[in-house]
Amino acid sequence: MVLKIHGHAIAPLVRLVAEVCREKEVPYELVNVEVYKGEHKTPAFKEFQPFGQVPYIDDDGFVLYESRAICRYIAKKYASQGTPDLVPRDPKAEAIFEQAVSIETSNFYPFALGITTEKIVKKHRGLEPNEARLSDLVNNLKAKLDVYEVILGKQAYLAGGSITLADLFHLPYGTIVFEELGYDMLEDRPNVARWWKEITARPSWLAVKAKA
Amino acid sequence: MVLKLYGFATSTCTLRVAVVLKEKNVPFEFIPVDLLKGAHKAPEFTAYQPFGQVPYIDDNGLILYESRAIGRYIAAKYASQGTPLLPTDPTAIAFFEQAASTETSNYDPFVSGLAWELKFSMLFGGKTDEARAKSLQGQLSAKLDAYDVILGKQKYLAGNDITLADLFHLPYGAVVLDVGLDEFSSRPNVARWWKDISSRASWEAVKGGI
Repeated sequence: MVLKIHGHAIAPLVRLVAEVCREKEVPYELVNVEVYKGEHKTPAFKEFQPFGQVPYIDDDGFVLYESRAICRYIAKKYASQGTPDLVPRDPKAEAIFEQAVSIETSNFYPFALGITTEKIVKKHRGLEPNEARLSDLVNNLKAKLDVYEVILGKQAYLAGGSITLADLFHLPYGTIVFEELGYDMLEDRPNVARWWKEITARPSWLAVKAKA
Repeated sequence: MVLKLYGFATSTCTLRVAVVLKEKNVPFEFIPVDLLKGAHKAPEFTAYQPFGQVPYIDDNGLILYESRAIGRYIAAKYASQGTPLLPTDPTAIAFFEQAASTETSNYDPFVSGLAWELKFSMLFGGKTDEARAKSLQGQLSAKLDAYDVILGKQKYLAGNDITLADLFHLPYGAVVLDVGLDEFSSRPNVARWWKDISSRASWEAVKGGI
């Protein structure tokens, strides 16, 4: 039975799972969850995802949630097909990979998510952004990207010479912040700009942007 | 050469590494970094940890930072000694990754935010943003309701065996409790789980500082 991704096509982390499925040449079916009607908060949904969040997957009866965990699962299960080594197996490369993945979750995601919340999510709820908080988030993200600039001046990707999940994890919220919201944080950071251009040009991501 | 842990004796992320080292019976040398004097922002430090954060390790020349990455590295390298903290079966691994991600997205932002507002901001001359603290508490409360459901079906976050995912909750959980915010006791399964993980010898050994 084909892998089912339960979520909404517009949700960034749903798109992340779709992207990794495409990288690994894994067919999938997107099962729509009516997030705008609160379907993800219903008891029926929470049976599968107790936090009431999208996405979760159903892989022939095996249910898993947390998009980054799902991506790791797909990358490992289908290690021998599609883009190789999205999760490296050599112990030293794996350690550097885990460092890179953690960099994304602690030094990128909180700020990119925060900016998205202030500018987009709040707007949907009819609320005004907290300008002081938004300014803080933007300044913090820029400071973090200054460090990315150093790291990516020494190697092509965040975990070394080859692309891994750590790079791909930046795609959905990076696209929102740099492209959809138009924050220019790349122009003064040529190494980050090079890396961003590389990872956003991947056919699998272009396909997801066209239609998740 | 013994593993070197560069950090701050009471820093949450330094303790996150220390508890794993203890659980795996890995000897280490602790090298204090004077945060209050800004040692973590000095070039000699950022040469190793470019974000200017503690901790990082030097394991015989291998430099690694990000406390959870260090924890994973130690648990994998020393898989055959101390408490097993990483599963090996593919299904169990998937559930471990789900639990590890749950900690970073559905727990850490709220407890670390509360730790900042209710404790750490004051140390740096700031003050509590009461509205933000209240909002974070509300969000944490809702997340722990989900934890209570999960932990009603299994002993630990990834299944019936303890893993790194459980231990990663300890440092910020302890800070939040320490400032008087108890969202654990009122939820029976969360309370049981917290009592279990926080009474382990490894945590007792480091919780007061390295």
